Amino acid sequence: MAKVVTEHDYARGVEVLRNQIDAKIASYLSSCVGCGLCAEACLFYTETGDARYTPIYKVEPMRRLWHREQTVAGKLAKAFGFGRDLTEEDFAEWQEMTYDSCTLCGRCSMVCPVGNDIAYMIRKQREAFSAAGYSPPGLQGASQRALEIGSPMGVTWKALSAQIGHVERATGLTIPVDVQGADYMTLFSSMEIMNFPEYIEAVARIFDAAGVSWTVSSKAFEATNSGIQIGSSEIARELVSRVVDAAEGLGCKHVISPECGHAYTAIRWDGPNLIGRPYEFEVVHILELLDQLRQQGRLETEGFDERNLTFHDPCQIVRRGGVEEPPRNLLNMVAPNFKEMPDHGKMNWCCGGGGGLSANEEAHDLRTTVFKVKKRQLEATGVETMITACANCRIVMEEALEHYEMPVVIEGVTELLAAHLKPKAGKTETAATE
Amino acid sequence: MTHLQPDQKRQRYRRGLRWAMALLAFVLIVPLIPYGFVAAEGTLGSNSADMWRDARNKTQRDAFRTQIQGIETAVLINNRGEQWRTFREKQLVPYGGYLLLGTFGLITAFFLFRGRIKIEGGRSGKLVPRFSSNQRIMHWFAAGLFVLLGVTGLILLYGRHVLIPLLGPEGFAITASASKEVHNLFGPIFPFAIIALMLMFGRGNTFRLLDFKWFLKAGGLFGGHAADSGYYNGGQKSWFWMTVLFGIAISVSGLVLDFPVFGQTRELMAGAHLVHGIIAVVFIAASLGHIYIGTLGMEGAVESMTSGYVDSNWAAEHHNLWYQEMEQAGMVGVEPNALEEVKRHDDIDFKGFGQPNPQTKEG
Amino acid sequence: MFLEFVEGPLWYASVVIFLVGIAIRFYEILARGVKPDLAVPRTDGTAGALRTIVSRSWTAKGFSSGAVFHLVAGYMFHIGLFVLLFFAAPHIVFIEERILGFGWTAAPHWVFITAANLAFAGLILLWLRRVMHPVMRKISTFDDHAAAWLTFIVMFTGCMALLEGHDFLRALHMLSVCVLMIYFPFSRLMHAFTFVLSRGYTGAVMGRKGVQA
Repeated sequence: MAKVVTEHDYARGVEVLRNQIDAKIASYLSSCVGCGLCAEACLFYTETGDARYTPIYKVEPMRRLWHREQTVAGKLAKAFGFGRDLTEEDFAEWQEMTYDSCTLCGRCSMVCPVGNDIAYMIRKQREAFSAAGYSPPGLQGASQRALEIGSPMGVTWKALSAQIGHVERATGLTIPVDVQGADYMTLFSSMEIMNFPEYIEAVARIFDAAGVSWTVSSKAFEATNSGIQIGSSEIARELVSRVVDAAEGLGCKHVISPECGHAYTAIRWDGPNLIGRPYEFEVVHILELLDQLRQQGRLETEGFDERNLTFHDPCQIVRRGGVEEPPRNLLNMVAPNFKEMPDHGKMNWCCGGGGGLSANEEAHDLRTTVFKVKKRQLEATGVETMITACANCRIVMEEALEHYEMPVVIEGVTELLAAHLKPKAGKTETAATE
Repeated sequence: MTHLQPDQKRQRYRRGLRWAMALLAFVLIVPLIPYGFVAAEGTLGSNSADMWRDARNKTQRDAFRTQIQGIETAVLINNRGEQWRTFREKQLVPYGGYLLLGTFGLITAFFLFRGRIKIEGGRSGKLVPRFSSNQRIMHWFAAGLFVLLGVTGLILLYGRHVLIPLLGPEGFAITASASKEVHNLFGPIFPFAIIALMLMFGRGNTFRLLDFKWFLKAGGLFGGHAADSGYYNGGQKSWFWMTVLFGIAISVSGLVLDFPVFGQTRELMAGAHLVHGIIAVVFIAASLGHIYIGTLGMEGAVESMTSGYVDSNWAAEHHNLWYQEMEQAGMVGVEPNALEEVKRHDDIDFKGFGQPNPQTKEG
Repeated sequence: MFLEFVEGPLWYASVVIFLVGIAIRFYEILARGVKPDLAVPRTDGTAGALRTIVSRSWTAKGFSSGAVFHLVAGYMFHIGLFVLLFFAAPHIVFIEERILGFGWTAAPHWVFITAANLAFAGLILLWLRRVMHPVMRKISTFDDHAAAWLTFIVMFTGCMALLEGHDFLRALHMLSVCVLMIYFPFSRLMHAFTFVLSRGYTGAVMGRKGVQA
């Protein structure tokens, strides 16, 4: 089983850091001209004015190692006694920049004039820092729980079963568990199970109405991948493998990634590269699936939600995931007063909770500070309802909205659609969630 | 044909010889006749003086016609050119030199007499944001250009007198050639720098009553408390307006000189040169004061233009009214970060500077 | 003597170091390799790569103050320098005699002056931002400053030699050019060539994800 490193071992960190530098990163470091435009795209810089949160500065250890060991200029400097190697102090100092002040949102990667994917570099730097034990204790704990229990929040199958029981009683539906040969195997994130179980009910009702053949696996239901957040491919691989084994074991054609940002990155884009082979199934995000059902006429809604509402684009789903249009198509079915916020779409501002920050106690105050950008977006849009498609974004933003005493309410896309679901012909309408 | 007797042959020969001698004498003597007149009268005649005076362009500008097309190609002798050259060599160069050396000497004497003006009570260690990074960028852009153009310009004006003894004629030729090219290429950028300075530093630079009170106290230069001052004091405002006025004049005259392809006459070029040269010397002399007081002359000044932050004790001592406003806005003792760049201009109302703030006790 | 050396052996040495150095840098980057992407692409990666190679030449949606500064001053410098380098008469003569064997029409004088002014102003403004703005101050290395100053010195010595009347000034310019060419492959100036790789790699990844970056 993969290990969570908690003891400091910076020499190992340097070794791992060295191995992360592929042709991509070498080209990025060669091309960077130190213009600093990445800072102006990063909410950690714009809301604090702290130049240490400049994205490319966050990977300064990586740059120094690359320059010293992999360029002629650096090697010459080293031979003549100039410059210095990475030290343990560097690891200690940069833990804040590697973890506490970056959500891997990727906004920096969109504005770099030479095309550097800085979020990718920070992700790779986390491989070294996690291997060196220089990672936040909160993330270490989450990863440990994910490996041992199956969920970063310690949610067991028993707990999920209980929630499933609630849903079945409320809807009168049966939620299929471990059904061999179902079309779709769905995942849930711990955050949804614990804090937003209305998602489970919404999914059940929509799939029933649309006639989707689906199931949940008792062996691998967790969508959240803590390995991606702490930055350990070993841990990420083990967690993803559980899902892959379960889906392929059940013979499902598709795996559904739920309303959770990093889960989508993990299963859709990183997974095959982590396990070293393509899947025997396709990955689809719940928003993509719902949009497909809409196009096929299998998702029918009635009535409208007249509230003025806006949409927050979860970074890993939209900018880093490519699912930008589906949520809008879906919202336009039921929300005539849907108003886009400034910078909407792939350039939207991060909620401040991704990249493991929501599990990182040390980053709590910084998270609250950087929410000010979202606050300004909401004030500019002038709405009191915000829809999103990520349970982590949701919990982080609900907490921040309370801190800033803003009367904004957050809901999920799936839940909103389910509230306006047209009942199947011949079936009486079951109690809908508000 | 009749045969000629030997007598007749001799006669004809003598007659021919007499005609040839007469012709030769005529050809040699006749051109000398006017010289005879000259020798007799002493001049070429009263008409010729007027003719030469005309040629010196004093009365009839377009008296002459020429096949060559162009500006003033019909000017045979340009008398004003000599006037210009005399002015440059006999007045601009020496008096300009006295002004520059004199200013330098005055500043040195002042430094020896007063020393570096220290911050009263020492530094507090608390920072107040003063100039944004854009302001600092533009200031050093203009300052760098000013120094480059000033040095190359002084080489063009004084080089022959000062540098030939040092570098020799060959060395000076190279220096002068390089200086001329640099001065002429960088010159056209300067007007843009001046415009940028006007935009970035204009706000708060209008003269008010308290500035004249400041002048009466000589800004505290000779001891005693500095008078009330806002964001900029009277001395700074004077320098700002000097920069604007001199900068515009030197830019316009410089452009006239640098691009002589728009029909400039010799007179215009000479005039532009005088404007350019006189203002340059005055501008440089004044800049010595600005540079001195901003660096060596006053502790705590230069960091306003390098880091953008000043010590709060310095601000309280030298720009007290501005300091009070910043204190009220909670901008004293801040951590240096990029956000102050925005707060400096958006949240603080500069229009009130120079007037006692109604919210302070003085109001 | 000085001029002969600088335009002779030193010139040849710098050209060799320049070309070989660039080749080595590319090799050093590409030899690190990239693992193939096994995830199912949403849209074509190559198209994405090409797209991003072009799109990053302009700012992303939303003009922050830094983006405007770098856009304006950056292009002033780069375009000005390009015009100077390839369309100034003395350069074309040099290229014709020493490099290609053929030349082309030089730019008219006013174009040259404008390009030179823009290039100088842009470069100076960019370097001043590098020393004045907190972010650029934090992330700038010795390399950044050396590259800016070397480039400035090349341009400045070129300006000094404009009259083309003194061998010494011409030699000074050629010397600074050689130094810049020797320095180039070991510095961040390589961005002039490697930007195609960096933009391309990111564009490919984003293209496969179906995001227009």
